[in-house]
Amino acid sequence: MREIKLLLRKDLLILLNNIKLILRNPLRLLPYAAVIGYFLFIYWLRLGSGDETSTPEIPELDTNGVPLPNFSFQNIIGGVTILALMFLFFQLYRATKKNVSFFKMADVNLLFTAPVKPENLLIYYMGRSILPSLGGAVLFTFYGLSQAADRLDLGFWNLFFTVLSVGFFFFLIQPIRFLVYTLHTKYGILEYIKSGVVFLAILLGGMILIPGLMAEKFWQGMFSWIASPWFDLFPIVGWSRGIMSYWSHQNWLLSSAFVGLYCLFYFVVLKLVIQFSGYYYEDVLEATKSNEEQLEKVRGKKEVDEGTYSLNSKKQLALPDFGPGAQAFYWRNYIHASRQDFHPLFGIYSLIMVGLGILFAVLSLFDWFSHIVIYFYLIILIILYFLAGTGRANIGDLKKPFFYLIPASWGSKFWNMIKLDLVQLTLFCTVLIVPTVLIAGLDWLVIPGFLIGILAFYLTGLGINLIPQIGLDEGWDRVLIKPLMIGGIILFGLIPAGLTSIFAFVITNQFVWALLTLSVGMSFIALILIHVTLDILKRLEFKEL
Amino acid sequence: MLIVNNLIKKYGKQNAVDDISFELQGGEVVGLLGPNGAGKSTTMKCIVGLLRKTSGEITLGGYDHLTVEAKRLFSYIPETPYVYDLLTVREHLQFIAQAYNVKDWKKKGDDLLELFELNDKADKLGRDLSKGMRQKVSICCALLPDPQVLFFDEPMIGLDPKAIKNTRQVFRELKNQGKTILVSTHLIDSVETIADRIMILKDGRIIGNDSIANLKMQAEQGAGVSLEDLFLELTKDA
Repeated sequence: MREIKLLLRKDLLILLNNIKLILRNPLRLLPYAAVIGYFLFIYWLRLGSGDETSTPEIPELDTNGVPLPNFSFQNIIGGVTILALMFLFFQLYRATKKNVSFFKMADVNLLFTAPVKPENLLIYYMGRSILPSLGGAVLFTFYGLSQAADRLDLGFWNLFFTVLSVGFFFFLIQPIRFLVYTLHTKYGILEYIKSGVVFLAILLGGMILIPGLMAEKFWQGMFSWIASPWFDLFPIVGWSRGIMSYWSHQNWLLSSAFVGLYCLFYFVVLKLVIQFSGYYYEDVLEATKSNEEQLEKVRGKKEVDEGTYSLNSKKQLALPDFGPGAQAFYWRNYIHASRQDFHPLFGIYSLIMVGLGILFAVLSLFDWFSHIVIYFYLIILIILYFLAGTGRANIGDLKKPFFYLIPASWGSKFWNMIKLDLVQLTLFCTVLIVPTVLIAGLDWLVIPGFLIGILAFYLTGLGINLIPQIGLDEGWDRVLIKPLMIGGIILFGLIPAGLTSIFAFVITNQFVWALLTLSVGMSFIALILIHVTLDILKRLEFKEL
Repeated sequence: MLIVNNLIKKYGKQNAVDDISFELQGGEVVGLLGPNGAGKSTTMKCIVGLLRKTSGEITLGGYDHLTVEAKRLFSYIPETPYVYDLLTVREHLQFIAQAYNVKDWKKKGDDLLELFELNDKADKLGRDLSKGMRQKVSICCALLPDPQVLFFDEPMIGLDPKAIKNTRQVFRELKNQGKTILVSTHLIDSVETIADRIMILKDGRIIGNDSIANLKMQAEQGAGVSLEDLFLELTKDA
């Protein structure tokens, strides 16, 4: 118990210091006040308009005059349950790869070597982890219910059981992951977990397929088993649903019984963790350090790692030189891209996005989807690459001293820095758009329109972030002028191009002309921004983090 | 005071520490030297219980190194000084005093803060400290419980020259008080003047474990050879 007291006192001191920090700078509370204000506004809006008496829904009847089940409600419950189950299985599988950690590196350095019992530390920290889960659950509940506040009874017990249901679900996942990792490191149960996940997936697949095939229409029956009340007994996901079912039956005893199941389960998991984790310090070291590094990245203390999403980081390469001077950057990017994905020019992410595009095209060919879905997909891709362009200035060569030291002209350095991006982008877009246009029978002009548009948006994104970074010194001018500069580019560049494009659409009522107009307009803006970038690039200076 | 017998630490199939045995007598100051990746930090982390040993025995004052009794005897100063972001420097000392059950810690804490010139930073939060200051806090925390054995893992990294001088002074004072110290370091000269014995690690094995004078004789070098020359001679690839 000495350890619990010690940690409780430490956490109280931390809480006090946090309060002092807030009192010293109450402006820190502004984002929270904004969130509360948003919730109050939404609830006021919804509850204010909720006076109209709503007519009770009359259930549909079958041929014998028996009321049919509410299929849409059943599918919503089933769909949410499936999503929660997938999340749970994914977490279980992940647990065999990487442990969770309840600790900070300061705990590792100061507590793990102190004369304290490891199991007491674990009990305290594991128990304490319910606080963020409950906090998150409160936010989730208030946000989730805000849109339907006028149609729901927001009584205390309804909200109480909803918060408990969500909070317990997320809280229990961490100790279970800890237990799975511990068992895996001790007994190597990865294969069992994998088999278990596959077995459960087949079982759940069957539970969707069988009732679906038995029903008159597949979609009417597919979730009839999973959404039925007996599924509430399924561990964790079912229990959470059972607690939340207070909304429908208003029986606190029944929902409390599910809370009791959770408590019992937590007690068992805790006992098992204490029994099997043993001297667990090494097991949590890597996860603790990695959590700490993530936290530092979020706080901006550490540079965003280029290799964060690397799929092929251990690949051995023996690539010949591409040439002297600035071409070294192209070579460096090529090597990086080779380790980032399975091929430097066309990788798995590109393949997935191309696959999606072609899938939409095939579905639209059989009239399952309208062309609008494809157009929206293309617009989303353009926006994504615009955002990728804005992020490009924050990582990679510009953040390394070599960009400044290598003897070559600034223009050639810049070109070699973005060359691979442009090659990748052109290749990806061609492989995506050509078959999509041919299969879906779109206007062939969509091909050049999309290709030019996405390249122009990417370069515009790059320029928008790069020019203020180079052109403005560190300090207030950057803070104040950067938004103005970006606002100017948007006001006199993006908005006119967008408006012209909308105008073209209104006149022709065809997406292809809107796209072409937008692409041509954005090309002008991209060219201007690249010209300005090249003009001021020599003023770029290295900023050590 | 410290006995390490046949310690092995494996990462997968690779032996990071390869069957090493050594002892530290009470009051001895021993420098643990070796090139990068030699296994110095891993050895130290195994001893203090942060890493699980694959096999072998480690005892401190006659107790198994993982017992609470053994942990009362030592302190550890890690290479990277992590502190609690939202505890002040003084609160760190208070926290350690509770963890190690140190009575009347305030006077001693103040003395340590003064020695490491942290007295004006006593009310600063951990997150507002530079890396060097965090290292100083880490050393103060380690010294507060007045342990019998101290494990320093690269203690000079990130310290300013004055703090390095003070740390050397602390080493000397601790040695005079009869404390047992194991220091892992790259900065050979930081232990040359105070170490009773040097252990040189390479590829997870101890390739030299003796007083500096004896090691020099073993390496068949003449007099006047520095510890650095000796270190490079012993750790060079065959």
